[in-house]
Amino acid sequence: MSMLLEVSGVTVTFDGFRAINNLSINFAPTELRAIIGPNGAGKTTFMDIVTGKTKPDEGTVIWGDRNISLLGLSESQIAREGIGRKFQKPTVFEAQTVRQNLAMALKTPRGPFAVLMHKKTKSNGARIEAVAEQIGLSDSLTRIAGELSHGQKQWLEIGMLLAQEPRLMLVDEPAAGMTPEEREKTTDILKEAAKTRAVVVVEHDMEFVRRLDCKVTVLHEGAVLAEGSLDHVTSNPTVIDVYLGRAHA
Amino acid sequence: MTASFFARHPSVLWFLLCLSLFTILVTLLSEATGVGLISTSFVKTLGKTLCLCLVAIAMDVVWGYCGILSLGHFAFFGIGGYAIGMWLMYARTELIVVESLSKQVIPPTPAEISDAIGNQIFGVVGSAEFPWIWGFADSLFLQLLMVVLVPGLLAMVFGWLAFRSRVTGVYLSILTQAMTLALALYLFQNDSGLRGNNGLSGLQNIPGYQDVSQATVSIIFFIASAVALGAGYVFFAWIVSGKMGSVVKGIRDNEARVRFLGYHVESYKLFIFTVTAVVAGIAGALYYPQAGIINPGEIAPIASIYLAVWVAIGGRGRLYGAVIGAAFVSLLSSWFTGGGAPDINLGFYVIQWTDWWLVLLGLSFVAVTLFFPKGIGGLFDYLVRKPS
Ligand SMILES: Nc1ncnc2c1ncn2[C@@H]1O[C@H](COP(=O)(O)OP(=O)(O)OP(=O)(O)O)[C@@H](O)[C@H]1O
Ligand SMILES: [Mg+2]
Repeated sequence: MSMLLEVSGVTVTFDGFRAINNLSINFAPTELRAIIGPNGAGKTTFMDIVTGKTKPDEGTVIWGDRNISLLGLSESQIAREGIGRKFQKPTVFEAQTVRQNLAMALKTPRGPFAVLMHKKTKSNGARIEAVAEQIGLSDSLTRIAGELSHGQKQWLEIGMLLAQEPRLMLVDEPAAGMTPEEREKTTDILKEAAKTRAVVVVEHDMEFVRRLDCKVTVLHEGAVLAEGSLDHVTSNPTVIDVYLGRAHA
Repeated sequence: MTASFFARHPSVLWFLLCLSLFTILVTLLSEATGVGLISTSFVKTLGKTLCLCLVAIAMDVVWGYCGILSLGHFAFFGIGGYAIGMWLMYARTELIVVESLSKQVIPPTPAEISDAIGNQIFGVVGSAEFPWIWGFADSLFLQLLMVVLVPGLLAMVFGWLAFRSRVTGVYLSILTQAMTLALALYLFQNDSGLRGNNGLSGLQNIPGYQDVSQATVSIIFFIASAVALGAGYVFFAWIVSGKMGSVVKGIRDNEARVRFLGYHVESYKLFIFTVTAVVAGIAGALYYPQAGIINPGEIAPIASIYLAVWVAIGGRGRLYGAVIGAAFVSLLSSWFTGGGAPDINLGFYVIQWTDWWLVLLGLSFVAVTLFFPKGIGGLFDYLVRKPS
């Protein structure tokens, strides 16, 4: 099966510090993948590279059926290519309602003129309501996003991601600040989404990762340390070393 | 734009209602069309104020809604004034010249007429040649086109360069100030082709309507300004509502996030920057015939800063706030600086408002910023509970 995203030999240096070190990692068109790794492993920086926020010093990032390089594209072009992202710190538009947040994310034409002439349609309204239903915010559509709880903001951002209908979803720490029930629901949403697209989840919480029940990639010092099932990687001695902090001893 | 637009935005209807009532009231009280309680010069002040309100809502859209603190929008206003002023001055001088030359025994040639007009207009800067920028000055239609084209194109080129390089925040503000300063300095030069620091004058005289009294001219411009403000208000209310409004406010609050949703942020900023510049130009074109004169001092960087101060005091991010701020502060300003406010004698020191008004304005600005970030318009939040 050909890959949806192929990252190879990517290196990123911040003031001499190698945050990503010759990283190679691939994703299939429909898969659920968890990325774990200690703080500072480069998980968020990896997402920054794929979404165009950070340009790597070396390496290639190849996307989609047409095998185009993402490195020459701007953030908005990459998003329009079908890559959606949820940030580590929930970032929704706090001054606007839940409905407005979702409407902005909805997969519709993005040009200024199209947006200016945009008319509300029944089908778009139905799509917004379907997403709201999925993220449990049906009753909150008219609420200002800034008033939502931390967990609800996380969900709203996941909802915005779903509304975008991307082919690749990059989800950075979705469970932070959620109650156990909320976490369970979040895993369901992500697993459901991964049936039709690639979903990459960065998460520290091992219980959460276990429930995702998918292939796991361990990042450490900007490179892949181990890959496989959760049980497989957690029984790997180097991974244990890294997590117990003995790698630098 | 449909009835449902007004239903969803009742504040627009309220605004139009207040503006209409105000316009009718002033018309009925004016010298030309009413009982004469309001002097012609005050009608002009009110008409000018409406134009300032129009440029203020443009400023509110670009700053309050889109988060671009442009400190150059008064330059676009001034350009609009110059564009219409060129036609007013040319056409009127032409009428005078043709009339005086027609008394000659030999009919004047077109070249003689043109020379005479050039002499009349550019004599003050020691020239009689028509600079190339006056190429269209004989055509009202073309100069009206310039009112929108010149500010629009300047904003588009400037914005494209600035936004493309992702200049934001205070750096962008400084850049817009630099643009304004450069324009003012250019206009101050005698060989700029726009009469240097003399500027353009006699703009209150409408060519071809010499016999119409200033009282009548003033009320016509007043009503035209009111119509322009009403139309501008509805236009901007439409832009900042709906999905466009969502994206624009999103850019203000978190421009990176909007990018990751797939919107080309730079295009949106350029659109807002250019559209507001065009409206500023139109406002200026209505203002300066009422002021009678425009000179480069009008475009000085400080004017654009005042514009931001009005919007901040009135309340950013709500169009009526900008209107309130512009009207309130500019009227108060002419009252204080025009000697309307009595000086205060403290015994050891006399507070002269012509000097101290600026201090008062500065302090109010600081106070509003610190204690009432929503401005005067924020008071409405206590009156109306907004349905979400
Ligand atoms: N813009 C930047 N400038 C300098 N250093 C950076 C920058 N972004 C990231 N880093 C550094 O790169 C390293 C990797 O950071 P990254 O945020 O990718 O880690 P992470 O795996 O997401 O960690 P966490 O689990 O804490 O979120 C860190 O040491 C971080 O300090
Ligand atoms: Mg991170």
